[in-house]
Amino acid sequence: MGRIVGIDLGTTNSLVAYVDAQTGQPRCIPGPSGSTLCPSVVSIDPDGGIIVGEPARRRLLTQPERSIYSVKRLMGRGPADVQSELRLFPFRIDPSSNHVIRVKLGDKLFTPPEISSFILRELKNWAEAFFSESIDRAVITVPAYFNDAQRQATKDAGKLAGLEVVRLVNEPTAAALAYGLHEKQRGKVAVYDLGGGTFDISILKLISTGEGDIYQVLSTNGDTHLGGDDIDNLLQAFVHEQILQTDQIDFSPHGEIAQELRKELIAIKHKLSEANSATLLFPLPNGKTFLHEFTRGAFEALIRPVVDRTMGPVKQALADAQLKPTEVDEVVLVGGTTRTPLIRRTVQEFFDHKPHTELNPDEVVALGAAVQANILDHGVKNMLLLDVTPLSLGIETYGGAVAKIIPRNSTIPASAQELYTTGVDNQTGIDIHVLQGERELAKDCRSLARFTLRIPAAPAGLPRVEVKFLIDANGILQVGAKDIRTGEQHIIEVQPSYGLNDADIERMLEESIEYAEQDFAERQVIEARTEAESILGATAKAQSNPNAGVLSSPERAKIEMSIAALQEAVKGNDYKLIRQKIDELNRATEHLAELLMNSAVQSALEGKKLAEV
Amino acid sequence: MATPFPISNPPLVCWNCHERTIGTHFCPGCGKVLQVPDHSDYFFMLGFPRRLWLDMGMLEQKFLGLSWKLHPDNFVNATPEEREISLKRSSELNDAYRTLRDPVSRVEYLLAIEGTRKEGQTKQQAPPELLEEVFALNESLDELREAKAAGSDVGSLRQRLTTSEQSFEEKLKAVDGELQLAARKWDQTLDTGADEDAKKRVMGQLNDLLNRRSYIRNLVVNVQKELL
Repeated sequence: MGRIVGIDLGTTNSLVAYVDAQTGQPRCIPGPSGSTLCPSVVSIDPDGGIIVGEPARRRLLTQPERSIYSVKRLMGRGPADVQSELRLFPFRIDPSSNHVIRVKLGDKLFTPPEISSFILRELKNWAEAFFSESIDRAVITVPAYFNDAQRQATKDAGKLAGLEVVRLVNEPTAAALAYGLHEKQRGKVAVYDLGGGTFDISILKLISTGEGDIYQVLSTNGDTHLGGDDIDNLLQAFVHEQILQTDQIDFSPHGEIAQELRKELIAIKHKLSEANSATLLFPLPNGKTFLHEFTRGAFEALIRPVVDRTMGPVKQALADAQLKPTEVDEVVLVGGTTRTPLIRRTVQEFFDHKPHTELNPDEVVALGAAVQANILDHGVKNMLLLDVTPLSLGIETYGGAVAKIIPRNSTIPASAQELYTTGVDNQTGIDIHVLQGERELAKDCRSLARFTLRIPAAPAGLPRVEVKFLIDANGILQVGAKDIRTGEQHIIEVQPSYGLNDADIERMLEESIEYAEQDFAERQVIEARTEAESILGATAKAQSNPNAGVLSSPERAKIEMSIAALQEAVKGNDYKLIRQKIDELNRATEHLAELLMNSAVQSALEGKKLAEV
Repeated sequence: MATPFPISNPPLVCWNCHERTIGTHFCPGCGKVLQVPDHSDYFFMLGFPRRLWLDMGMLEQKFLGLSWKLHPDNFVNATPEEREISLKRSSELNDAYRTLRDPVSRVEYLLAIEGTRKEGQTKQQAPPELLEEVFALNESLDELREAKAAGSDVGSLRQRLTTSEQSFEEKLKAVDGELQLAARKWDQTLDTGADEDAKKRVMGQLNDLLNRRSYIRNLVVNVQKELL
């Protein structure tokens, strides 16, 4: 059996890692561009070609209707669940979506597991190029607070990518593994993991015994709907409102302009982690430039609600672990969003402890996944991981109530039995509705699946069927049924409430063979073409700007020539030539860019002065 | 569950080497993880007698020690059959630890495997000496609900309910205390080799206390919900 790699399938970025046999340390595998980060962005070419990562990210600006980001937000959820997000996320949910979401990219429809599988396949390629061997087994991380459907969707994505998902590991636990290895911590550890779209808080106990190191999760909580994306959306809504007031322009979240703005605001957000202010200069369709100086103070006031929302789960997790904040020995920050100074301060104040940030918050989860992959691959005998299920498992009873059969934070694998009988003569089926959640009523919990027990006809009350509910090491539910009287195993038909059934997956696996894997040179051409599109678009916009009139005729002619040369190169397959022509166009438009920059700043400042008058 | 389990540790026929064995978790012959017996005995699984007072430190130690051996991570490269068996066994282990760790579920489990757990005929049946107080409490609850619905002032009603709630929380503590005493009595029957009748009597007491506790706890939870 081949080696097992560790994969962090993140909302914003995805990574693949392994443990170096020489050093025993985990390391991330770089992609063709040299970066270990693969943006979780997918774009579909008109001819059906699939583009993943950095090149796809650029297409968010040029071809937003063929591209998608943050697909993790859609995994394991139904169309009704994501309605509120559609205001701010440009997800094009097709009306044909019923219990599985279907997203439109170009003129094709895809399910979230399919889209995620494209990202996983990209990482699989990176690993195969790195090791020069076939890779078909992986450990994939999921937010600890992911429910059954979300986990199953992740497993499905792995399968569609040609990967056997050997284990799903919870992200905070993976981070704890990476830190435990690195820092050799012991005691009670709180892992605060705020990524692009999900938030997890896990409380672990790290013990060193004669046998080895035990990582025992005491409790976990979170919000699978909260992350850096929400900070971006707050910024975007703020600027959108400002622009509406000052320039009466209202652009939809689904267009190119919104994507351009989002890109700029992310840069601003990053800058504000280092500096005390950052200025946004955004060219508007009416030719003017929107200018706004963000101070760190104003930014922090704006994003405070997001940070506050994380503290509810933190307090609950501590209560479930029966610990006070000060009883936690170490605090670990995970996820790019935890670079935000406000978050670091808030966490430090709450726990009265300086959080650990030594490991790269973008890489630490992947590193931990690699550690787990290594444990499984080589049967490492000196590390034991005891994780928990984040949500109580319950069964719907009479009157729409829920009877909890496996409480939240139970160490997994965990099981429970229920005995069933019939209420009516000759009843041949017993319906069972399984849910996850902490509420009392079924309608307030998360529907997991419906099962029908098929039993032979008999007088009412005679059949005795024992149903065993088992949550496996991945946190996914398995169900088995046994007829007590005969000892026979029963057939159970499972209808997942929010997922793909086996037939769906088989069909998709067949279809996926159509999407030919791009080899290295082909991908280079695609990347070069994408960049060419981007710069041609930007140049056209710049040329139409009134301030471009200042250019001299020879300059303008040079630009026209470079544009024509690039357009010609793009038609062919020589990526080196395309890149050469891109460089030439860049040089030809240097002066133009300068002119526009200066006039933008000037007019923005003038505009401000007028407003102050 | 009406019938008690016959023996704690029935011999198993190893699924792999077909040897008849009384190993607990692994076959002493071939070393493979053993299938889970039809009737689980959490006490036996963790290596404890059916006593109600357990050393928590030892319980955790045993649990962790067995976890090292039984965790699914150890069986990732094993055959599907072995993986299935280890999955069932490790979940039993976790269930056992979860159940025996909590003093109340420990008692419930003991009575269940001894075949003497009888839940209250109707769980809603109030213990006789509490009838008056329960009646008063339910009246207050109804009044509060009506007042809330009508939008009228609930201040004094809430006050009354809070007092009631506190009184019942005291009763809950008292029941837990009595449960502890009865649990000790059970252990004594084992130590002194008491006869079946004596054991049945103690189990009867434990059973009644569990029902009483369950009833009071439901009351407290309902009131707390209303006061939120």
